Amino acid sequence: MLFADPFFLYFFLPICTVLYFVSKNGRYRNAVLLFFSLLFYAWGDLKSLPLLLAAAALNFFLGRLIAGKRPAAAKAALVCGILFDLGLLVVFKYSAFFTENFNALTGLSLPVPEIAFPLGVSFYTFRLISYLLDVRWEKIPPEKSFSRFLLYVSLFPCTVAGPVVRYADISEEMRIREISVEDLYAGVSRIAVGLGKKVILADLLAGITEELFAGEIASLSVLGCWYGAVVYALQMYYDFSGYSDMAIGIARLFGFHFPENFNYPFVCKTIAEFWQRWHITLGSFFRDYLLYVPIFGSPRKYLGLFLVWFSTGLWHGASWNFVIWGLYFGLFILLENLIGKKRIKKIPVPVRHLYTKLVITVGFGIFYFTDTARLGAFLAGLFGGNGNPFFGETLLYSLASNAFLLAAAVLFSLPVVPWVKKKLEETPGGLIASGIFTTAANVTLLVVSTVLMITAESHPFLYAHF
Amino acid sequence: MTKEAVYVALNKIFSDIFDEPITLFPETTAKDIDGWDSLEHINIIHSVERRFGMKFKMGEISTMKCVGEMVDIILARATKG
Repeated sequence: MLFADPFFLYFFLPICTVLYFVSKNGRYRNAVLLFFSLLFYAWGDLKSLPLLLAAAALNFFLGRLIAGKRPAAAKAALVCGILFDLGLLVVFKYSAFFTENFNALTGLSLPVPEIAFPLGVSFYTFRLISYLLDVRWEKIPPEKSFSRFLLYVSLFPCTVAGPVVRYADISEEMRIREISVEDLYAGVSRIAVGLGKKVILADLLAGITEELFAGEIASLSVLGCWYGAVVYALQMYYDFSGYSDMAIGIARLFGFHFPENFNYPFVCKTIAEFWQRWHITLGSFFRDYLLYVPIFGSPRKYLGLFLVWFSTGLWHGASWNFVIWGLYFGLFILLENLIGKKRIKKIPVPVRHLYTKLVITVGFGIFYFTDTARLGAFLAGLFGGNGNPFFGETLLYSLASNAFLLAAAVLFSLPVVPWVKKKLEETPGGLIASGIFTTAANVTLLVVSTVLMITAESHPFLYAHF
Repeated sequence: MTKEAVYVALNKIFSDIFDEPITLFPETTAKDIDGWDSLEHINIIHSVERRFGMKFKMGEISTMKCVGEMVDIILARATKG
């Protein structure tokens, strides 16, 4: 079951919400949420539900040990917990990748395991690791109730593809949540915006990307390669930020305030800033739990940086292009760090925008091509290495037939809506007008998205695969 | 070692790192100083550890909320004055 699915939006979610609100107190309300969270998970991946339950039970138990009075047991519990959680990722996500590479390196032919990828494992393992470390660092007390802990691990708004919500973010709201009419309005609005981003923009952009990149990449013109990567960057943005909007909106209906995951990433003027605006909860996870891990001497700054970007890449998928993609961004962040913020600020703003947009565009191209040979052809194509013309007919046709879609996609990826809203609200009577416009826009988005969901071919959220 | 002496030493460390005069207060956070990001944080931690002959714990490095918290840890653990 997906968020952008009429069954979820018009059946599952309303029933869950109604039952939630008719429940008389917080305990029953949590029970309703837990039931629907487990149902949601089982619906998506019944076979992997026992694994989720076992991981939750083990981490719950270890969390109690970590906060216990025996230091040796606490340390052992932390090590066991982290090894177990990372082990889940290694076994279920990377075992085939590691075996293939091991075979290639050694010339052996060990059987490559075919293990199904458990739904949301990349996200819930990170939620578990952050919990254990935060308990160890005394940032939060360990959860005393297993049902509440299981709710944290399985909470359906963030199970499949984040945000990487930490226990510390919502520990108070796990117990007491006040829900006002504003919360419900904000929640529904956010769901409408996220749905629109996904169904109207991301899915239509996906069609263009497929047209350009799915075929013979070596025959694409130079500008065609750049154009394809730009469209793919926009598609990824609308897909994943749309999903995040929906997750944040759904959580808000039940009184949870999830951390933001995107903040108009394409307005960035440095690559470091891009990562402060793109998949924010993943970036801050790596910053807080991995960047400071290397503890020896002065090289640790760059070792930490390498670890973060290697892991960011590998986390996105068991394929070398993701590792290259992570290290590629890490390299630019390292360069920016070596140059220094003060010197960067002296570079004219248009130059900084051009630099970041070029780096990001190439980055998304690297992200797209999981096949190394095709990735090579794409990179060569960007710089005319395939001997193709600068400008081709495919590009011209695509630009002409998608002009409105592309204009809208570029426009809404910049903070235009908040700017217009702010200006409008500053005028007399603007607050009321802004409220009416916003509501009308949200209703339109819901209607159009619903029609598209029913009639068009649906695309699953890309980040659910990571 | 007094609290005031720790602040004097920290002001010098921060001023050297950020290349401009900086005066810290207990409530100063990374948001108050332009350029204090996660990588610069490693430089700060490293310099502070060397200056005071002490080590921060892993958890402290990412959970310290303000300079005041850092000073309390330094006062409890410093081996160099």
